[in-house]
Amino acid sequence: MSWSRTRHHLSSPLGVVTVALLLLLVATAVVAPLLLGDRATEIAGGALQAGPSAAHPFGTDALGRDVLTRTLVATRLSLVLALLVVGIGVACGLIIGTVPVVLGRRAGRAVVAVLNLMVAFPGLLLALFLAMIFGVGARGAVLSMAIAFAPSFARLTHTTASGVANADYVSAARLLRVPRWRILIRHVIPNISEPLVINATSQVGAALLSISALSYIGFGVQPPQYDWGRMLADGLPAIYTNPAAALAPSIMIVVAGLAFVLAGELLTQVLGGSQHGHLRLPSLRSQRRDMAPAETPPPGEEVLRIERLTVTVPGETAPFSPVVDVSMRLRRGEIVGLVGESGSGKSLTAMAVAQLTSYPNVAEADVHQIKGNELRRMRPRDRERLLGTSLAMVFQDPMSSLNPTLKVGRQLAEVAETHERLGRRDAWRRAVDRLSAVLITDPQARAKQYPMAFSGGMRQRASIAMGLMAQPALIVADEPTTALDVTVQKEVLGLLRRISRESDAAVLMISHDIAVVAENASRVLVMYAGRVVEELPVSGLAEAAHPYTRALIASIPDMSTDRSRPLANIPGRPPHASDLPPGCAFAPRCGRADDRCRQARPELADSGGGGAVACWHPLLPVLESEA
Amino acid sequence: MLELRDIVVRYGHNQGAVTAVDEVSLTVAAGSVVGLVGESGSGKSTLARAAVGLAPLTSGTILWKGAGLDPRGRPPLQYVFQDPYASLNPRMSVGASIAEGLPRASGRQERPARVTELLEMVRLDPGDVHKRPRQLSGGQRQRVAIARALAAEPEVLIADEITSALDVSVQGAVLNLLKEIQTRTGVGILFISHNLAVVRYIADSIAVMKSGRLVEHGTTEDVIERSAHPYTKQLLEAVPTMTMGNGRS
Repeated sequence: MSWSRTRHHLSSPLGVVTVALLLLLVATAVVAPLLLGDRATEIAGGALQAGPSAAHPFGTDALGRDVLTRTLVATRLSLVLALLVVGIGVACGLIIGTVPVVLGRRAGRAVVAVLNLMVAFPGLLLALFLAMIFGVGARGAVLSMAIAFAPSFARLTHTTASGVANADYVSAARLLRVPRWRILIRHVIPNISEPLVINATSQVGAALLSISALSYIGFGVQPPQYDWGRMLADGLPAIYTNPAAALAPSIMIVVAGLAFVLAGELLTQVLGGSQHGHLRLPSLRSQRRDMAPAETPPPGEEVLRIERLTVTVPGETAPFSPVVDVSMRLRRGEIVGLVGESGSGKSLTAMAVAQLTSYPNVAEADVHQIKGNELRRMRPRDRERLLGTSLAMVFQDPMSSLNPTLKVGRQLAEVAETHERLGRRDAWRRAVDRLSAVLITDPQARAKQYPMAFSGGMRQRASIAMGLMAQPALIVADEPTTALDVTVQKEVLGLLRRISRESDAAVLMISHDIAVVAENASRVLVMYAGRVVEELPVSGLAEAAHPYTRALIASIPDMSTDRSRPLANIPGRPPHASDLPPGCAFAPRCGRADDRCRQARPELADSGGGGAVACWHPLLPVLESEA
Repeated sequence: MLELRDIVVRYGHNQGAVTAVDEVSLTVAAGSVVGLVGESGSGKSTLARAAVGLAPLTSGTILWKGAGLDPRGRPPLQYVFQDPYASLNPRMSVGASIAEGLPRASGRQERPARVTELLEMVRLDPGDVHKRPRQLSGGQRQRVAIARALAAEPEVLIADEITSALDVSVQGAVLNLLKEIQTRTGVGILFISHNLAVVRYIADSIAVMKSGRLVEHGTTEDVIERSAHPYTKQLLEAVPTMTMGNGRS
């Protein structure tokens, strides 16, 4: 939670109203009894239960005391009682809710069982029952409401705490023999405090209402003390002669209740609930120059052409672009690798290529053609159809593209039914056929199973099969094997290669592992900090011109790495896209960088041998012996 | 030394029971690095978690220097988790996290000095002591996690896939660090990974697990050069290599 974010929330309309209401309430509670305390008990002669007048805007009560003054003075007692209820309730709830973490497994279970029983019991009934035991009066009302409130808070505490209690850092603390109570105080409570603070704040409003209700029915505050509930009870019998006497405390109850609910809402936003509320959003319409004239490529040759793709995302102070000016062309049957470290923008590029950039991110490109069709000039319906039939997407986690509640065959068939209007039976037949194409044994039976019955590798193959339901000209595979084991990885990559060869589809293979790409692709694009820094044929990787590409290759240990020497690595870390250095983004980590690199950013330029590199001091093959 | 004898870990009851670790015996001698490889679901992490008590033991014995582990005494084993984004308390400073590992007997005055020493040992700037995990990169966080484990002065360190959540460009630095610490302090390491190339680099001997069982165990050279089990051969073949030639300069 940064201060700028907090300030942003406080200056929003919600923030201003909430803070103003709370300040007003607190000021009234502090000041009113001091200034008006005497007047509130002063009995004005002769004007019993009088209606509103200039001297008494809300009239007088049965003893002729000014209702407005009394309402303001009652603020202190009403708020203090409500806060006491929540305070005691939170303390009890916190203890009951966290005790299972400290106790052993068995004792913890017993506490949770008792807790469940208490939560099941109606709160108000419990409060009334307890109020009988504690006796009428403010103390009894507070205790009974607090005890009635504690179970639900204890439940919330327990649920959030048990999530944290399983975290790795708690396991680590256990292994370090940190005492249990210390684990509770240092590891568990600080990490569950946000939802609890939010909940407790909005509960103050509810507590205020309940305490007022108890006072109203005579269990709570007793005369000569008075809170809003008590005043409401006094004013109500005369509602027909002087409605204002009942109205004044009612207004205050509503206003105060609202203030605390709003405060809870505000805290939710400040402490990290809302995702985009505080962020500066990128503008939806581009100010970019018109698209470049599309020179028509030989039909059927070029599957994907994208020029100067930029993806902009919201930032805390200003929007920033994690992908800048990425251009690529893919021909039929070609496998192109897109390599980069985490945060380099490679996945955002993949999503933008498939037109899957979702709000509030914005993707823009000068040219975005699939099979020679400019997507930006197409009607949405035609564009959907083109993408649905000619582009397939394979994700890192196959479960993100498979619906766990539908049979695998059914999901596959649906693709053909939607995009090609195939009949149910034909679509099913094709689904089985495609499952066998991705080497799933016994596809007839497997098609009738749910994704959960599939292993990780089989799910990934099924999600590839789903992409093959149409005849895709382009397959975008975003880290298709990162979640898989090495032996399964080999199978899935082999499958993608075979599909590309047999169906002449182009594959854009995105990976953090340059070795995976080197084994499967023919061409490689290397991304760093949102830009393509080098493009080269796989055969030229050994003589890569960019120091980053070289370093990336060198940092992968393989079966021939010298065990007696330290492993190569790249010192430092990639810059964040919102905070890029003025010159070359790799300069701070580069051994070859000089002042020029730190001041001016090199553009992607021809490096010879069919490649391009963005570097002021490229490692040229002839210079390699010196380098 | 650490001896795991006939370890069985079984989850669930009756027909639904799954045997995650099936009668595995493994020894980590003082000062040695044992690599444990296998695919996800092979039981390698479960075995390691059982060794430190994070997974329930169905049967088998864990021996430390020939005797049972004392649950109250100073623990001879420490564990470094796979995901450095989950293994550090986001609310605690780097220094506080590391200090938690220090033996309780150490005096108040010595603690800051020990934390600085540990930060230097894992090649972090001692000035980072007040930083929160979110201000650090993945590689830096993993160094903090290693420093915290080392603070407890363990005799055996269990490293569970400690580089698989990191980028390859920083993986090398973390592995170099681990190797250097091992040489310097002589701590024994049980190094778990699915990446054979990484295990080959760091381990003296390699154990291969498949479906909860230990299928091969030998010196690194033997397992890599003369693997006996077909599964090990399969793993070796699947390691991606830079086929376009020698990429190392």
